[in-house]
Amino acid sequence: MINRRSTLKSMVLGAVSALAMTAAGMPPAQAQNKELKIGFVGVTSGPAAAWGTSNVRSMQTRAAWINETGGVKIGDATYNVNIVTFDDQKDPKRAIAGMEKMAQEGIHYVVGPNVDDGAAAVRPVAEANGIIYFPYAFPKALYQKPASNAVLGMIANYQSGPAIYKYLKENKGVKTIAFVAANESDPLSQRDSGVEAAKALGLKIVAQNDTYQNDTRDFTPVLTPIVSLKPDLLVLSGVAPANAPLLIRAARELGFEGLISTETAQDAKVLEEGAGEYANGFISVGGASTPEIASDMMKEFVSRYTKMFGEYNDESNTKVYALEYILETLKANPAAINDVGEFKKTMDSFSAPNPYLKGDAKLSYVGTTSFGQKRQLAVPMVVNEYKDGAFHTLFVGTVD
Amino acid sequence: MEQVIANGFYLGAQYALIALGLTLIFALMNVLNFAHGQMYVLGGFISYTVYGQLGLPFVVALLASGVTLAVIGALMEKFLFRTVIKRSLREESTMLLAAATAFFFDAVILLIFGEKQRGVPKIVKGVFNEGGIIMPYDRMVVGVLALVFIAAFVLYMQYSRVGRAMRALAQDRVAAQLMGVQVDRYSMIGFAMGAMLAGIVGGLLVTITGVNSGIGGPISIKAFMMVMIGGAGVVGGAIAGGFILGMMESVGLTVLREYGDVTYLVIFAALMVFLSIRPNGLMGKPWG
Amino acid sequence: MTRSVKIASVAAFLAIVFIAVPVLISVSGRFDLYYTLTSVALLSIASAGVWLTFYIGRINIGQGAYALMGGYVSAILVVTHGWSFWPTLPAAGLSCAAASVLIGLPILRLRGVYFAMVTLVLTEVARLLALALPITNGAKGMVSIPLPGALSIFGLTIIPDFATLHNARLAFYLLAVALMVVCFAVVYRLVHSRVGKLCQSLQQNEELASSIGVNIAYLRVIAYAVSSFFGGVAGAIFAAISQSIYPSSFTVIDSVNFMLNCFLGGLGYVFGPMLGTLVLYFGWDLLFQTGRFQLLIYSTLMIVLMLFLPNGLLSLAATTRKKG
Repeated sequence: MINRRSTLKSMVLGAVSALAMTAAGMPPAQAQNKELKIGFVGVTSGPAAAWGTSNVRSMQTRAAWINETGGVKIGDATYNVNIVTFDDQKDPKRAIAGMEKMAQEGIHYVVGPNVDDGAAAVRPVAEANGIIYFPYAFPKALYQKPASNAVLGMIANYQSGPAIYKYLKENKGVKTIAFVAANESDPLSQRDSGVEAAKALGLKIVAQNDTYQNDTRDFTPVLTPIVSLKPDLLVLSGVAPANAPLLIRAARELGFEGLISTETAQDAKVLEEGAGEYANGFISVGGASTPEIASDMMKEFVSRYTKMFGEYNDESNTKVYALEYILETLKANPAAINDVGEFKKTMDSFSAPNPYLKGDAKLSYVGTTSFGQKRQLAVPMVVNEYKDGAFHTLFVGTVD
Repeated sequence: MEQVIANGFYLGAQYALIALGLTLIFALMNVLNFAHGQMYVLGGFISYTVYGQLGLPFVVALLASGVTLAVIGALMEKFLFRTVIKRSLREESTMLLAAATAFFFDAVILLIFGEKQRGVPKIVKGVFNEGGIIMPYDRMVVGVLALVFIAAFVLYMQYSRVGRAMRALAQDRVAAQLMGVQVDRYSMIGFAMGAMLAGIVGGLLVTITGVNSGIGGPISIKAFMMVMIGGAGVVGGAIAGGFILGMMESVGLTVLREYGDVTYLVIFAALMVFLSIRPNGLMGKPWG
Repeated sequence: MTRSVKIASVAAFLAIVFIAVPVLISVSGRFDLYYTLTSVALLSIASAGVWLTFYIGRINIGQGAYALMGGYVSAILVVTHGWSFWPTLPAAGLSCAAASVLIGLPILRLRGVYFAMVTLVLTEVARLLALALPITNGAKGMVSIPLPGALSIFGLTIIPDFATLHNARLAFYLLAVALMVVCFAVVYRLVHSRVGKLCQSLQQNEELASSIGVNIAYLRVIAYAVSSFFGGVAGAIFAAISQSIYPSSFTVIDSVNFMLNCFLGGLGYVFGPMLGTLVLYFGWDLLFQTGRFQLLIYSTLMIVLMLFLPNGLLSLAATTRKKG
């Protein structure tokens, strides 16, 4: 018995020391180049894992690519980019811990969090520690004064929504519109601003109160009453990539014949597997990987991503930009590398060519109209239509 | 309204099948299996790989899901739950083990199958549309299959030797042991069967709703609710609970849709009131 | 344990959390640990509440509901009604306790998994209510909540304004730890009182307890109210730290975690939830460098721990003592 107890004890001790060792076992530092750490705080496990995973993988792909080709030159020094990631499990309390970790690592530029509550929760830490962060969350309070450390990493739905509705109203004769959203903060807020935009355009809103639990697997009961109202356009506000094909399929099987759209980024493969030809004509917002607009650099990015992780995720198109912006802005003002005050100064005038888009598109900071200050990345607003397993660009808009 | 009833009936059939496995494991071992949803997801991914990726017949995929999960369930019982139940002072302690295995499955599934939603080609094409009812044929097939599985399970529990032994075990563990039932063996079989049911329903539903690595937890919670409505540890209760929840969702989402997010609020509140009036669900054993 | 040993160990514990930890942190420069340890302290307060309901023989997976409610009560009082943060702390606890009496009267009659599942549903109900009620600002949450202001009694400033502090993290840490000490002292006192003995009798056999004249309904509600009070206080402080609260700030997962903390620490030990929270929360944090394998390693360690110490971590100490 005594023997057994001591084995037991040593096993527990072993477990604890294993923990301690993993904590101590840092990745080995790179030899000649200096190291530039860029943080990521977002969700890479659980039901919303797709959001953060596509996000972090696009950063890791780009970082590996930069390091392979000799690093990035900022000022007089050359740096290897090291992405430090933290999985917040979509829990705002964890997100704060993640931001504290980033501060501890001496990181000043962090991509994420992916959702509203996390982005709001990390604000005190980011401001106290001089961290600029790039959330994928839309609440305006994050970007308006007095807040100043958050930079919206993508197009907000209150920017893309009106453009999409307007396009569909003018080109496809859409007159009536219905909204459906998951009963969570992000989708509901997006639905509310979608409703506002539709009203402003004079569209008739036939349904706006329908919601579903985010873990719903069968959407027929949710959609049955909406489909019977026969709207011209069904908007899936803030829909998670996992739910989009299920909603589309259920609506079409119930005989819905109008258009379906969303203002979030989706993945073509997921749509193809989950809804097949039912997804044809589905309109969503994307990045720059469609053949019409992708530059050679974008194509190489996609192929490197695919090689590194086995499969590309189309959501990553919209998420490739944050890291690029951080590095390009640092190149423009090397003093910003440890001083976000300098970064903010540079933001007002910064401009560089957009390497991912054909033609002479520019990288710059925008958002004056929506937030009263430049706290948004000027990523192209690419509106895509899904057809037979791939996206095709309907139109490309801009935000100011 | 016919459509709403049909939706509810289909939803109920799939829910009931999900709840069966959970209630079986609970009845035999008093283990609230938090990993039930993850087992469902695993079954879905196995079916996805065999049917969707390798292109083998759907029946083979379903079989593969069931068998794999049965083996996993048996191993879990033998090496994890049996040990912990014997060593712990309070049997609720298995909840932590169940939750840990749920996390473990979540991690493994995410690492192997990735973060994306997956789907397979339809097993039957076309949509039935008559008499005010719209129902795709593949849903009808899946609904009928679910009913067949439920019936087969009930008959097996009722008339087979193993089924009788398990029912005895569920009724009174000590008495069953005294009557010569091999408790360990039948606990293992029961756990394997519960896991198998989860795998089969996951494999079945992947044809309709696809599968993704993150839905295990929510599925478990939904299954808990069904079991609770019907009464924990009773086969009939799980079936009734599944159908009731399915119907409530379908009707509620139609009737209450004007009021925004309140459908689930009403369902949950009704559940709490119902249980305060009937503390053991519709037909559960006292003490759960 | 003799009385002097007890006093010495309490003094040692206080010295560690109030002096040694801050000193070590400032020496090592690991300032991020303040938040981690603050979280541990707050989550262990909520877990202590859950432990208390375990003590009366109920599996409580609904503490997240009260934490969320506490957070909202504090946020609404501060933002909408202009209260100072400090009185909202007891207000949050008391409103949760009051709500828990109303909810508890019917549902505490349930036992075993039924109680567990009803409380699980309760967490989801709280989230949906937060989304639906007009007072909570719905899906948009409440943001830009001011930091706790100064607290003074008779013109004497006891607690300075957090916004003026150089290190608000330390202030939150001290606040959280102080509350944790108080809460665990309360639980310890409760468990070792006559009421505690009665509660223990509930855990073993309610019918028997009832037949010898124990007012079990009353006892259960009191324990549940204290438990919810803890949840509310923890939630209120979290809202103050993040200066925001959303319907998703505390979810079913939090409720489950509170319960797991109790299991891991050991249901038979008052300080079990504290240790359980420390190991589970800190464990996840320590593993953050393992990247995509974090959850895998974390869950494997949990299974192993459970396999060898099914009665909680503290049972290890107990067996060692017995042996020696």
